[in-house]
Amino acid sequence: MDNDSEISRRRFLTSTGTLTAASLLRIGAPTLAAITQTACTAREEAAAFVTLNADEAADFTAIAARLIPTTDTPGATEAGVIYFYDRAWGDELSGFLGPVREFLQAINGELGMSFAASSEAEQDNVLKANENDPRFELLRITTIFGFLAMAKYGGNKGHLSWELLGFDGHHGAWEAPFGYYDAEYSKEQQNGE
Amino acid sequence: MANSVTFEQRKPVDFAIIGSGAAGGIIAKELSTAGFNVVVFEQGPYRRAEDFTHDEYSVVFNSELLGGGPEVSGQTFRHDEDEVATSPPVPPIGYAQTVGGSSVHFSANFWRFRESDFKERSMLGSISGTNFADWPLTYDEIEPYYTRVEWEIGVSGAPGPFDSFRSKPFPMPPLPVKSSGVLLEKGAKKLGLHAQAQPHAILSQPLNGRAACIKCGHCMFFGCEVGAKSSTLAAMIPLAEASGHCEIRDRSAVFRIETDAAGRASEVLYYDKDGKEQAQMAKAVIVSANGAETSRLLLLSASERHPDGLANSSGFVGRNLMFNAHSAVDGVFEHPLNDYKSVQVSKVIHDFYETDEARGFYGGGGIDARPLWSATPILHAILGMPHDVPGWGAEWKAEIAHNFTRQMTLASATTSLAMDRNNITLDPNNTDQWGRPAIRATYRDHDDDLAIARFLSERSQELMDAAGATKYWAHEIKPSDNGVHLLGTARMGDNPATSVIDRYHRSHDVPNLFICDGSSFVTSGRGQPTMTIMALAFRAAEHIAAAAKANKI
Repeated sequence: MDNDSEISRRRFLTSTGTLTAASLLRIGAPTLAAITQTACTAREEAAAFVTLNADEAADFTAIAARLIPTTDTPGATEAGVIYFYDRAWGDELSGFLGPVREFLQAINGELGMSFAASSEAEQDNVLKANENDPRFELLRITTIFGFLAMAKYGGNKGHLSWELLGFDGHHGAWEAPFGYYDAEYSKEQQNGE
Repeated sequence: MANSVTFEQRKPVDFAIIGSGAAGGIIAKELSTAGFNVVVFEQGPYRRAEDFTHDEYSVVFNSELLGGGPEVSGQTFRHDEDEVATSPPVPPIGYAQTVGGSSVHFSANFWRFRESDFKERSMLGSISGTNFADWPLTYDEIEPYYTRVEWEIGVSGAPGPFDSFRSKPFPMPPLPVKSSGVLLEKGAKKLGLHAQAQPHAILSQPLNGRAACIKCGHCMFFGCEVGAKSSTLAAMIPLAEASGHCEIRDRSAVFRIETDAAGRASEVLYYDKDGKEQAQMAKAVIVSANGAETSRLLLLSASERHPDGLANSSGFVGRNLMFNAHSAVDGVFEHPLNDYKSVQVSKVIHDFYETDEARGFYGGGGIDARPLWSATPILHAILGMPHDVPGWGAEWKAEIAHNFTRQMTLASATTSLAMDRNNITLDPNNTDQWGRPAIRATYRDHDDDLAIARFLSERSQELMDAAGATKYWAHEIKPSDNGVHLLGTARMGDNPATSVIDRYHRSHDVPNLFICDGSSFVTSGRGQPTMTIMALAFRAAEHIAAAAKANKI
């Protein structure tokens, strides 16, 4: 990707921050805790969706699976990102819901069929053709949030994304050595090199 | 623990202190433990260590500690004064709204200034189009207060080869070297440069009943849940409250300082947690609200006697805003660094600190090694990727998975020049959630500021090469559109025509009004201002207390 893409990524990163800030402020912390609990239960029990209808949920599940595909390692599907979408778009990211719905309608129109029913190649092509659409960026950012945010927000089931990255985020405290190079360095120091 | 005390609003307290951050928290502790009654106003809530989390989604992306984004603050930004400022999605002026202020969420890199920082104008001559000037104090005068910060606030570190003199050693050793520090040192050695231990306002050993750092890696943007980060929340406010002379009035947003018929500050007007107007009488007022909020409050406090804003007969309130320029070069290495563990920085290079006239421009800075956006997963996935990798799909997933533990950034922190054109004013259209006119920032870096950032980006790329990065990429240097270092907007000086406060932080215009925070700075240093803000606060408090005792306020 070129520099323009870098800039657009930043732009949408930041617009996300604003929208979420405004809506989270309206929700008190106890309410948020209750909401996230509900989302986790939904994910664990594969419950019905609250914000999305069944067709939309199928399409968005398929989109998430192209954005963060399942390869030899788990992706958005295994992480339950769809449950994050369903919860967050009804809540702190409710400002995204209208645009991502419109975006889905637009690409389904281009495909002439539902996204979920299309082939992977068609799915990738239509996403690539629309990746400079600001609504795509909202979808991409939501997917990253759902994949990597704390599991309590509805995605990141079993912390599998953190394991993928090598981020031991629940551990919370460490002692040196932290990585390969400081471990080697400390051996050299001990050997008087 | 805390002896909670509540002062009557209609009975003047000795001092009303506006802001509980790096400066306000120290001044509150110093004055209250000296027996003066103080009320500290903080617009954010009173969060304690146990309220802080590792929740990146909420803290970094939902502005949990910032009190919301521009939709709430109404803040606006423009590069040049002929533009209409607009409200961007991220705060153009970033600071924490919480007791302890930005000392709660900063990364806690903690350099002293050098002797040269206070007298660069004399050393280098004037720079046209700028308000480049010497400070009205010297390193010798501030040195004892740097030492107090190190021992009373708690600073870990070890002296570096270029440091100015110190009267006492660091109270505790530096935090352990990280893989990023080892790699920086390796690169530096090859290039004949000097990597030194990074000083931090983070405890490497217990101090004054506070715990040492547990290396959890959540310093930047987060509050410290064990109180090892030396915020004023952890280090000063508990002592202030224990004195029985300090009331922390949180969720209280000051909108005006009232003056009496004699032209003295007499009363602080604020919105309480329910948005209701309240007033507190005070014998003296100290403004420590940060370089942007301090300017706004002084401008909002205009009156017949002070038509351009309180303490603004010079017209210098809000002017000379300095953000400190930056550069960032990201690199990936063969083996895991796991740089998400522990504090951001462990080694820094200060070989390029001083201005070198052979470069052809003013400025200098430090280069340090840190995870930056590879400290937490979401930031890494959104901002940490190389430019040639697609933003989604299998290749992207493989890249974030491979790089997260193997990536670091060489970050430079540099100078900014003081200029009239860079300033804080009141936005004519926008208001914040309390109805106060919003902060409007107008800012375009001086060409020299961008030149030194570019120079240090080039040096950082050489260092990445020398350190053995398998791949590295530089972020573009362009004019700043936001700042978190808020410096220079109520500068100190001996001449009331070209400064707002005197060398002891008393405003030239209003004898019982003091201002102490980043706004007091005359020059920008090299990008790590909080150590100097805190040293100034200890020094200011000493002079203010002495003046009060001598009945000279």
